[in-house]
Parts: sequence; structure tokens; C-alpha cells
Amino acid sequence: MKSEEFASLLVAAQGGGEPAFAQLWRDANPALLRYLRVIAPGAEEDIAAETWVQVVRGLRSFRGDEQAWRAWLFTTARRRAIDLARHRARRPEAPLDDVAVAQLPRTEDSAEVALEHLSTAAAIALVSGLPRLQAEVILLRVVAGLDTESVARLLQKSPGAVRVAAHRGLRRLAQLTADAGVTL
Amino acid sequence: MTGTGVPNGDMPNFPHLPLQDESAVTDADLAALLAGKRDVGPRLQPVADVLAALSTEPSAGELMGEARALAEFRRRTGVPVPLRLVRRGTAGVTSRLSTKVATGATAAAVLLGGAATAAFADALPAPIQRFAHDAIGAPYTPAATQHVPAHAKPVAPAGPLASRGMPKASAKPHAAGRHAKRHGQSQQGNGQGQGNVQGQGNGQGQGQGQQDNGQGTPRTQPSGVPHGQGQSDGQGQGRQGNGLGNPHAEGQYGDPHNPGQQGSPHPNPKPAPRHARPARHAPTMDT
Repeated sequence: MKSEEFASLLVAAQGGGEPAFAQLWRDANPALLRYLRVIAPGAEEDIAAETWVQVVRGLRSFRGDEQAWRAWLFTTARRRAIDLARHRARRPEAPLDDVAVAQLPRTEDSAEVALEHLSTAAAIALVSGLPRLQAEVILLRVVAGLDTESVARLLQKSPGAVRVAAHRGLRRLAQLTADAGVTL
Repeated sequence: MTGTGVPNGDMPNFPHLPLQDESAVTDADLAALLAGKRDVGPRLQPVADVLAALSTEPSAGELMGEARALAEFRRRTGVPVPLRLVRRGTAGVTSRLSTKVATGATAAAVLLGGAATAAFADALPAPIQRFAHDAIGAPYTPAATQHVPAHAKPVAPAGPLASRGMPKASAKPHAAGRHAKRHGQSQQGNGQGQGNVQGQGNGQGQGQGQQDNGQGTPRTQPSGVPHGQGQSDGQGQGRQGNGLGNPHAEGQYGDPHNPGQQGSPHPNPKPAPRHARPARHAPTMDT
């Protein structure tokens, strides 16, 4: 998305324009879900929804370009994921052993989605095998499209540490793909 | 044979590790990968494919939550209103006004409370203190009369009406008793005394309140015979302490260090002027 286009969409959304907000949502939500699948597997839908609720609340007061917008979005999502992890640690849930698989909620097109995007799911699974910091850095750089400085601020690390983590993650990813013979 | 006498084929099962070509992957290549370039070397091609798969077009499943997000957006935004109009809304004005009123009321309360506290502590400048004295009954002691004699140190209480508390080091019973005003409030210490002194003349009546926030009811007065005129009448027992007051005393003066002192039973028929300045020292005992 071009910067001018983003700026006009943001202004329109801040003024209450629903189509503009929908376009912003469609542009960012897939990346958000892919990031959340790695750092909060199984809860990505809920966390993304909560993230957007929070974003809508603060949309009028937001100021910044697309980079800042994405940084805000992913920072909010990451905080929600951390909150959820803490909540689960305090109140662990019992597994649903008594519920049959057929009774589990599912979407109608979940199988179709899985087949269509098997390569994306495999890529997310590979990245999930990396250490947490390396996986987050790669996802925020590649999926979210943030630069090194923004990622450093988001993760509260130094830019040098982010670069090192990214390079180590890529080297590790190369080794994993070579060992597993992954073909996407 | 090797140099150490070991045959070359002695360890045929030991795998020969191929040299790892780490130099083939440079930081520049990795940076290019992160930047989105996909034409990298064959060693990094699988990684490039993984990164490309992470950035593919969104699936339908990833866009299913749009309706929910839009519903939240509609609920939050409602009727689109420009920011400027929102800021000028009635609710905003009312809220800001209430905040200002509350802030002003709080500040006024703090200021008035502090001023009153300072007034009753006799810590204000003389003109203001006098005004406070007239307005709210705060103690007022002219600066010239605040001198504390050296012998005005508290002594151990004695007598049946002695103070229940020990006198404080800062107590100045002498001065306080001497300058008690018509409101019967002394600013020395925390006590307030009320005396029913009837000593007239040049005898100095003295009311003494009990120390430490008490109210004394001095019964008396008598004390010395300053200037050789008149004697105070009545008999009093001054309480030790610093809270002294004598709302009705005239020409009062006494010696708080001598509780239980006996005064002359004969009042002086010639009362002294209302503000007669008593002798500072040498209160003598009429015993």
C-alpha cells in the first residue's frame, strides 16, 4: 500500500468511513493472524478480534504513517497475547476429552482453507520451530513488514540484537529446510 | 601409515564430515532475504520459499472476521462526527467545567485550611494575624510581648490541679498567661485556657490552661504585688503548662511556676487599667 493511499484511508477511517476501515482491516489482519499463530497458537482468532477492538477505540487519536500503524497493531496484538498467556498460566484449562471430534466447532471451509494454503501453514510450522525471539523477528520483518528499528522497539531489544536474531533465525531455517527436505 | 604409526585404514567407519560452507551464506544474503529478494543462492532458496509462503495472499479464512470488526467499528464510531465537533460537544464542555470547578474548590479548600491552620498557629504576619484574630478568633500576640523570660521553663506540676501531662520544653506558660487575650486563647502551646480571674488592680490575674490541648479553669489569681499596688484577689492554683487563657482577666499576670499559691483574700479596690502592663519579673508570693 502506498503511503498516500494509506494516509487517505486512515483519515477516512478516523472520520468514520467504514469502507476505509474495512480496507485497512483486510490489509493487516492476515499478517496479524499469521504472526499470532506462531506466538499464540490456538488463540489467534480471539486475540486478533480483541486487538481490533482496541484499535477501533484508539483509532481517532492515532497519528503516524503505515509503519507506525503496523507497529501499533502488532504491539497491541503482542500485548494481548502476553496477557492471554498469563491468564492461562493462572487458570489452566482441562482438555476436552469427553467431547467428540464431530462436536468440536469448525468452520465450513476450514478443510478447503487448509488445502489451499498448505504451503503457508507449513511455513508457519517451520518458523514456529525456531526459538521464540528469532521466530518473532522473522515474522515481524517479513510478514508485518516492519523495519529493524520498529521491531526493536516492539520487542524492547536493541536493533543490533534484532539483526543478530534475524540472521540466526534465517540460518537456522536454512538448516531446518535442508534437514527436513521441505518443499513448499 | 600415519606419522604416529597408525595405518590409514585403521578407522574405516569414522565418517568423514564434509566441510560446511558457512561462507556461502553472508549477512548480505540474509538481509536481502529479509528485504524480500528471492533470487538468492541455491543454499538459501528453500528459506526464500518459506518466506514467500509467509507472505502469500490472504486466504478466505483469514478474512472471516471482517464482519465482526466492522460491527465493532460501527458501534464505536456511530455517526461519523469530525474531531473538532466532538471536542466542542456539550458533554466535553460539561466535563471540563466540572473538572475546573472541582479543581478550584479543592484548591480553595486547601488554601483556606492552610491559612486557618497558620492563623491558629500564630504563624502569619502580624497584620494578617490580627485580621484572623478579629475574624475567626485566632490567637494574636503582639510581637513585642512574645518575649519569654528565661525563667519561664516549665516546672514539675504540683497541686491538685496540676497538669496531667508533662510540660513541653517549648511551653511558655509565663508569657502565655501574661498575654492572654479576651478570647482566652493562648498561642503558646496548644492549650486554651479560660480563667475567671477577678483579680483587679495591679495584681495580675492569671489563668492557666492545662497543658497539652486541655482547657484549664484557673481559679485564681493572685500573685505578686507588683508596683506595690493592689493585690490580686482570690486564690488560685495555676496549672502547670502552656495553654493559658484568660478571657476576662484584666491586668493579669501571675506566676505559673507557683501552683497553688495563695493570694490575698482582699481584692484591691482600685482596679488597674485594663491594659496595664504588668511587671515582667519578680512576681512575689503572697503567702
